[in-house]
Amino acid sequence: MSIWSHIFREIGFRKINALFSLLGLTLAVTVVVASQLLAEADERETRRVTRDMGFNLRLIPAETDLGQFYRDGFSRHAMDSAMLDRLATHLTNNVSFNHLVGSLRREYTINGQDILLVGLSETYVVPGQGKKSMGFDIKKNTIHIGSEIARMQEKKRDDTMHVGVRQFTVANDPIETGTPDDITIFARLEDAQAVLGLAGKINEIEAIDCLCLTADQDPLAILRKEIGGILPEVQVVQKRTLADARAKQRQTREKVNQFVLPSVMVASVVWVALLAVLNVRDRRQEIGVLRALGKGGGRIAGLFLGKAALLGLAAATVGAVLGTWAVLEFGPSLFPVTKKAIQANPTLAWQLVVATPVFAAFASFIPAMLAVSHDPAETLRED
Amino acid sequence: MIRCDEVTKKFRKNGSEVTSLDRFSAEVVEGEFVAVHGPSGSGKTTLLLTLGGMQRPSAGTVQFGGRNLYALSPADRARLRSSEIGFVFQMFHLVPYLDLLGNVLLAAPGKKLGQAQRQRAAALLDELGLAKRATHRPGELSAGERQRLAVARALLNRPKLILADEPTGNLDPENAAEVIRHLAEFHRAGGTVVLVTHGSAADTQADRILRLEQGRLLAN
Repeated sequence: MSIWSHIFREIGFRKINALFSLLGLTLAVTVVVASQLLAEADERETRRVTRDMGFNLRLIPAETDLGQFYRDGFSRHAMDSAMLDRLATHLTNNVSFNHLVGSLRREYTINGQDILLVGLSETYVVPGQGKKSMGFDIKKNTIHIGSEIARMQEKKRDDTMHVGVRQFTVANDPIETGTPDDITIFARLEDAQAVLGLAGKINEIEAIDCLCLTADQDPLAILRKEIGGILPEVQVVQKRTLADARAKQRQTREKVNQFVLPSVMVASVVWVALLAVLNVRDRRQEIGVLRALGKGGGRIAGLFLGKAALLGLAAATVGAVLGTWAVLEFGPSLFPVTKKAIQANPTLAWQLVVATPVFAAFASFIPAMLAVSHDPAETLRED
Repeated sequence: MIRCDEVTKKFRKNGSEVTSLDRFSAEVVEGEFVAVHGPSGSGKTTLLLTLGGMQRPSAGTVQFGGRNLYALSPADRARLRSSEIGFVFQMFHLVPYLDLLGNVLLAAPGKKLGQAQRQRAAALLDELGLAKRATHRPGELSAGERQRLAVARALLNRPKLILADEPTGNLDPENAAEVIRHLAEFHRAGGTVVLVTHGSAADTQADRILRLEQGRLLAN
């Protein structure tokens, strides 16, 4: 009789033992899957929120008076745009910032209307990450105008508009935002530099901090040290509001995971091992008679390890489906993630299909060795 | 066929040493039917397990077919048991989740079953009056049927020796006689039987009776 046929029949006979082992393993797999999917969803959510929030790091000329900067919203000093290129050459996976955009921001007057003119460079990201650009692309000879400018200058999409001596095409549908963007013209950096007569100059580099630390962990000190080592000519200002809340959420979840995941794994190992010990006790006479019939230790260990592996395989399949379903169904209402951020992870499911039988066999290893080392004569004498 | 020289087996039980077999020497020749009598605790089961290569003696040697049984590796002893020795126990020791055919085939060596083994198992069940219950489980059988099933399992590999430990101890006289009859048939076909019992059910079939008391051989 094949060992698998033997195992299947034993499982069918001692259903309760097998069912409890299956439940223990399924619970462990479900928790692992749910925890991982939530972690991934949280990661996506944090990225999305951070991106929606916009840049949270502002690098301005070192000599800028912060009082003036906060009052006007930009620095009245300027720096060489080559500094942006210098910082961009340091973009790797090992730095704590990403998404660099150089900008030149100044007041300007068009037909008696005071506005802000902002020139934006292209976005620099860490190579090979495939990140989407966070800003909007401005095509050559075009501008994006705010709603108040559109109203006062009577301009709409595709109209031409003079800024200084240069003529541009309006590339957007101006929408009221209730922010200074309503009185802002966004142009390509080179165009703004030409209009303002500040060729080769910028007055800010915007970026995103990738540390995801809370304020009490002083991420700014880390960023200032890192950026200051590359660009000593700038001072670093950080906008911390929502990013702080997200970082806190993420850290809380990570702390919970640090406790919950190992606890579930240990509890599962103990549970499966205990059930395997009970199974070995139940089957002492069977082990004795198998020995008497000339079956070797390998065959006997195989009966227990094979059973554990088989239950592990079933638990991995059920647990992966259950964990994914639970997170999709209840995740958004129980955790601070949106349904859109939750995605099934087939790679994780496959990894668990391989790992869970090994894990279950590991949990049953000591009981299996007990079975192998059990003296059959002792059992067979207990008549 | 099987020879014991000065075989002693000692156990530790509740902190004290118990001698289960005490310098036991005897020889069973091929084709013999030997009954071993003795009261409970006289060492009968220990003797049987020692003869079957299941329990290493504390002292002395056991020779099976001229080979020192306990000089063989555990794997070689297991192979020898599988091919040349059949066991029948008082408590049957059947596997509860396998059907009758599965229990008989459990004795088959190797990982894959051949058609010949299946046919042999079916023929044995037929011979022992269990063919109609081949798909039943042991829990559905009477004590007599279970012991006949154990005999069928012991016979599957056409062993040279059957070691039977109180095979009639749990049976009524009719079923006991039926089991002894099957063992006697095996003996008549040239097989060797060593049967331990504290009763006399097999005495009429035995060629020789050994008496054990407190691990010692009293009469041969």
